[in-house]
Amino acid sequence: MDNTHHEEHISSYAELFGTWVALILLTFMTVFISVFGSGLQTLTVAMALLIASVKATVVGLYFMHLKYDQKMYRVMMMVVMSLFTFFLIMVILDYLTR
Amino acid sequence: MTVATVEQPNFFQAKKGLFSWIFTLDHKRIGLLYLYSVGSFFIVGLLLGLLMRLELLNPGRDWIEPQTYNQVFTLHGVIMIFLFIIPSIPAVFGNIFLPLLIGTDDVAFPRLNLFSWWLYVIGALFALSTLVFGDGPADTGWTFYAPYSVRTGTDVSITVLAAFVLGFSSILTGLNFIVTIHRLRTPGMGFNQMPLFAWSLYATSWIQLLATPVIGITLMMIIAERTFGVGLFDPSIGGDPILYQHMFWIYSHPAVYIMALPAMGIVSEIIPTFAQRTIFGYKAIAYSSMAIAFIGYFVWGHHMFTSGMSGPAAIIFSILTFMVAIPTAIKVFNWVATLYKGSINIEVPLLFALAFIFNFLIGGLTGLVLGALAADVHVHDTYFVVGHFHYVMFGGTGFAFMGAMHYWFPKIWGKMYNKLWANIAFAFVFIGFNVLYFPMFIMGIMGMPRRYYDYLPEFHPLNMISTYGSWILATGIFIMIINLIVSKRKGAKVGSNPWNGITLEWQTTSPPPLHNFDKMPELPEGGPYNYPNAMNE
Amino acid sequence: MNHTFTLPNSGHNFDAKASKLGMWLFLYTELLLFGGLFLVYMVYRFLNQEAFLEASYELNVWMGTVNTIILLTSSLTIAMSITALQKGDKKLSVILLWLTIAAALAFLVIKYFEWSAKFEHGLFPGMEHYDALPVGERLYFYLYFFMTGLHALHVIVGAVFILVVVKKINNGSVNQKRYSLLENSGLYWHLVDLVWIYLFPLFYLIH
Repeated sequence: MDNTHHEEHISSYAELFGTWVALILLTFMTVFISVFGSGLQTLTVAMALLIASVKATVVGLYFMHLKYDQKMYRVMMMVVMSLFTFFLIMVILDYLTR
Repeated sequence: MTVATVEQPNFFQAKKGLFSWIFTLDHKRIGLLYLYSVGSFFIVGLLLGLLMRLELLNPGRDWIEPQTYNQVFTLHGVIMIFLFIIPSIPAVFGNIFLPLLIGTDDVAFPRLNLFSWWLYVIGALFALSTLVFGDGPADTGWTFYAPYSVRTGTDVSITVLAAFVLGFSSILTGLNFIVTIHRLRTPGMGFNQMPLFAWSLYATSWIQLLATPVIGITLMMIIAERTFGVGLFDPSIGGDPILYQHMFWIYSHPAVYIMALPAMGIVSEIIPTFAQRTIFGYKAIAYSSMAIAFIGYFVWGHHMFTSGMSGPAAIIFSILTFMVAIPTAIKVFNWVATLYKGSINIEVPLLFALAFIFNFLIGGLTGLVLGALAADVHVHDTYFVVGHFHYVMFGGTGFAFMGAMHYWFPKIWGKMYNKLWANIAFAFVFIGFNVLYFPMFIMGIMGMPRRYYDYLPEFHPLNMISTYGSWILATGIFIMIINLIVSKRKGAKVGSNPWNGITLEWQTTSPPPLHNFDKMPELPEGGPYNYPNAMNE
Repeated sequence: MNHTFTLPNSGHNFDAKASKLGMWLFLYTELLLFGGLFLVYMVYRFLNQEAFLEASYELNVWMGTVNTIILLTSSLTIAMSITALQKGDKKLSVILLWLTIAAALAFLVIKYFEWSAKFEHGLFPGMEHYDALPVGERLYFYLYFFMTGLHALHVIVGAVFILVVVKKINNGSVNQKRYSLLENSGLYWHLVDLVWIYLFPLFYLIH
């Protein structure tokens, strides 16, 4: 197996910079909602987590190259996340139904 | 396999001296390092087990104090689980034979491999240091259940730290194997041409990788809790001990399959070789390994049915538990079907494989009794549980380990063991094992709780039988170890392929040269177990 | 040793794909390591909603926001550093890595000020004020210190990792053709960022 040559995707500076702008905007958004929308309680928590997940996905896809790399990394990331979600669901189910 | 080239020195002869061993990058030597260290701890654990059985020979105090008894069973559990069973087959035989089976010369990250072994040694030293230093070995049981583990005066922190370090070693081994299987298979060997032991290691490695971190962080929290005197799991300050149990079993149930899956892989290697027949349902066995690994994540709650977990959660976990039985049963069916119409050659490794099936069947079926919510409430934390997990752990993994030891002995050392003594040892081990553990099922049904120092007089006869069994078993293991050590020195030399196997490790010399293969290994046509003379229906 | 034959699939070859796969596998374990903590957080948050809310007012949102921006920016610089090396611009790549390390230090300095403010208020487990708090708030601060502490540890490890890569780029062992170590340090650094992306709202923004 020869591995010296990389035919990998090289991310352009513009794409990376655009990703960063998006992440910063999302950060301001989530802080804004939290500071000024404190009356909404549960909704703000849901929004905060949603935005965090969008940010995490953006970091994964563009900064971590998941979008361009081998499919396996993406698939396993989903498997890991689903496993973790299952852990969360089953544990909270125990507490909710006690 | 007659090789015309100059005889290469084998991996024992390639380099000499202590440092050439403890800093070696050769996977075979690292595997042997594991064998010697794992084997030593197994003997320590065995002696502790014998001591416990001796104490239980009669009701009341026989030899040791109750507190000592608690520490002995904790240390027995910690050593057997973390120092013996979890690393046993993957770290010993996985290291030695995974690269040979897939036709390469090492694992993907040889340095990381050595580092894993060193972590293992450090973890082991931590675990044993509690015997000598500090406040004495932990007395919590190997599960370290909070809040007792947070409050007890014994040295839980060090033991827990040991488990953490050992977990790291296990993660890195798993990582190494996954990358090895993905990147280093010999040209022409797809996933579906891989030997089944490699498949089972692949499944195991994923569990090691994705379950171990959870226990790592949980154990860190126990340590932090003890150091800072405040905590997450102590109910007196708002913590919830059941959360600890959740997190502990999120790892420790999948860990049961870290112990069982490689054993199943060994059996899948041994049976086709001694039946000289294509394995029945190759894909079913391979994929059921993956299925077991996957479903194994969803069933941890069945350890907690009586802990105070909610009813609905318990019911769901009970249902999920039964799903694990399906892929396991598929495997047993396939092994038996492989033997059918095979030309069976009864050798010691095959005897161990058959004993594995027998013991694992009993262990597995009693596991279903425990997985059923209603039945479990009755037998939870009784000797029924002790019997069950010794049947799967020792009767399963332990027997497969001994089978693998005899199966690959001629490959590792180029010598044959004394077959008569090996047969005698097998008989002692098999009989002793069943005499030791079968009475526990009956005691459990009768209601004898586990981990108790004392018991009621009506359990006396069964306890005596069980203790006698432990002596038979220990005798058998003693004979086996002596036989293997003597044979390693004085056994008759054998060729490269004494069992007529067709997986790749038999194509190279015994012992293998440092770089495993002196020429390109040839894949058998039509799959890894396609025996040329097999009677194909 | 007159060793004549080497397998084409030898484990001793340099294999960029193998090291990247190894790195990803390690990241999965890291995710689940933090995952365990998030699980604990979820349960105790559920059991002590009011107390968590109350306790979170002790945290300084603006410091948290600044730190978030610092980490996101450092993720940008290291990603750009990879692009720079792939395009052969060794000098730019090294500069960007130094910027990343500087960001890591800035993050740690701000974290230090945050923590010392908590110490002054006696909010560290075992201190007087802490012990007087209601149960839920104690759990909150315990988790806060545990999780941000573990995260800060990862920041330090990541910064050291990047420092090693800088050394290796300078001596040429990491270069345009063979950059997987740089890529792996980038992946690790992004993971640190990823964890913070969740820590930030869960501790600072829940009011």
